[in-house]
Amino acid sequence: MSKILDAILCKGLPLRDIKNANRVNLLALLWAGTLAVTSLSREYTWHNTMIFISIIFTLHTAIGVLMVFSFRKFLKELDELERKIQLDALALSVGITIISFSSSSILSMVGIIEKLDQSSLIMLMAATYMIGTVAGRIKYR
Amino acid sequence: MKNRLKVLRAERDWTQAELAENLAVSRQTINAIEKGKFDPSLPLAFKVSRLFSMPIEDIFEEDTSG
Repeated sequence: MSKILDAILCKGLPLRDIKNANRVNLLALLWAGTLAVTSLSREYTWHNTMIFISIIFTLHTAIGVLMVFSFRKFLKELDELERKIQLDALALSVGITIISFSSSSILSMVGIIEKLDQSSLIMLMAATYMIGTVAGRIKYR
Repeated sequence: MKNRLKVLRAERDWTQAELAENLAVSRQTINAIEKGKFDPSLPLAFKVSRLFSMPIEDIFEEDTSG
């Protein structure tokens, strides 16, 4: 159990890497927050106004771009074992997401299941990425 | 890849954490290299070689068994 906890909390990583990871996490939270605001605003009359859409679109895109650059910096400066773990987790995440969606599209085409929405794609990617990272940390511990 | 990192570290009475600090990597990286679970990059192998003042081939050896 302590092995799993250490893996989740990235115990033993240099302070620089933890700071970079925290920056990426904060931006990811803000990015997801802008999506949540868009979704929650549907109940209000102003949600369809051009000003609101422009602001939320600009914010969401800008935070997304910042997040990508922060993640790039994080990977570049990362401890080399942890970088391998992160890249393996990314490969797993992208692979599983592509396979899941192409397979589910076959089922949705014949009407067995509903077409999956974008939020499922993001959630699946995030979940497989997290599982891959923790599994990698346990493997190399 | 096999390596003599653990032996060389023990000869100098260093902990994994001390070696990791000297090489600017995490203790987990040192542990994984010593256990043969992870092969270091070429720049890190050169750093190890410089730190122990030994040629790379005297520290790391190709594992031909598998």
